[in-house]
Amino acid sequence: MDSLTPTQRDRGLERLRRLTFGATAGALVAVVGVSYVAAASYAGTSSANASATAAETTTTTTTTDSSSSSTSSSNSLQPSTQAPTTGSSGSGTVTSGGS
Amino acid sequence: MTVALESWKALGTSVHVLATQADGLGPATSAVSEVLADVDTAYSRFRGDSELSRLNANPGRSVRVSPLLATAIDAAQRAARLTDGAVDPTIGQAIRVAGYDDDFSRVAAQAGPLTLRACRVPGWQAIRFDRRARTVLLPAGVELDLGSTGKALAADLAARAALAAAGSGGVLVSLGGDIAMAGTPPSGGWRIHIAEDSRVSPDADGEVICLPSGGVATSSTMVRRWTRGAAVLHHIIDPQTSLPATGPFRTVTVAAATCLDANIASTAAIVRGEGAIDWLLSWRLPARLVENDGTIHYIGRWPDPSGVAA
Repeated sequence: MDSLTPTQRDRGLERLRRLTFGATAGALVAVVGVSYVAAASYAGTSSANASATAAETTTTTTTTDSSSSSTSSSNSLQPSTQAPTTGSSGSGTVTSGGS
Repeated sequence: MTVALESWKALGTSVHVLATQADGLGPATSAVSEVLADVDTAYSRFRGDSELSRLNANPGRSVRVSPLLATAIDAAQRAARLTDGAVDPTIGQAIRVAGYDDDFSRVAAQAGPLTLRACRVPGWQAIRFDRRARTVLLPAGVELDLGSTGKALAADLAARAALAAAGSGGVLVSLGGDIAMAGTPPSGGWRIHIAEDSRVSPDADGEVICLPSGGVATSSTMVRRWTRGAAVLHHIIDPQTSLPATGPFRTVTVAAATCLDANIASTAAIVRGEGAIDWLLSWRLPARLVENDGTIHYIGRWPDPSGVAA
């Protein structure tokens, strides 16, 4: 293989520098693009609703304010944090039954 | 620990407010009364001047509703979504046609036969509800009944308001057996007597559980019953048929993080019938189910009084 002249070597290095810069810029664009798609697909859409709901809640009555967390937009039925136990202790008996 | 208690009637049922601090009971009671008055005005089906009655009377028109009614409709739609339509607010017409068309104290216990046709209710998806604008449009033929989730939601709201008014300690609010707890419970938790009828005295013999927080609700086909001809009807409507549910369970009690979630689950269990136990287990909800023949099932982390897990 013939050895390169200094001029050819400089041109090669310059080309390599441009390729490196281009690859880095392309990767950055790809990361930003993928992040945007992911944000738009998941929580990003609902965050706008959440802030709107919060803003609305502050303008309503105390009743509504407390209601917002009771109903929640939870997508599941939530178990109680502690399981019931047999009633050998405790205070203040009331009846739970049909009505 | 001594717990202070106040009881009265509202929303066509009994109301009990308990507070761990005696000086907090008065403010808590006032707060609960206010919430229940607001609820009655917003979504009573039996008051012609309630927002819900006006909404039901104006199909095909977009109606702006109060924050409270919007919250109640939101809760009802969530219930329908999470139960695959077993708890559906569009049963309004079905329950009215079945004879429950007034405050239950004024519904005739017995009357002549009714002809009821089995058909699906319109379904919760028919409701055009814009949560942010707080507007609701009901297509013609769609009537809402928020009775099931509405009472449980009211219990949760009332408990929160009661705790805020009491300032400290803990409170329990029971609306016809739908129970919500808030704040610091008494030592050992709140004692809850489990029965098929909420009018049973809490001191009567029977099973008692203790819970520190959250909610408990019982749904039963044994109460709010009436007779038309030879048919005995009750208030838990199966949205698939528009008729009173006919599954194997007559009473279901569920404990959950809120009274609303407990009520959604207990009502759905009655309607789902055969598949109720697996469905409740899938949500990891402790529950007590009574079959029509009296057999009792304890599932999830519900304590079995015999000490043998079901």
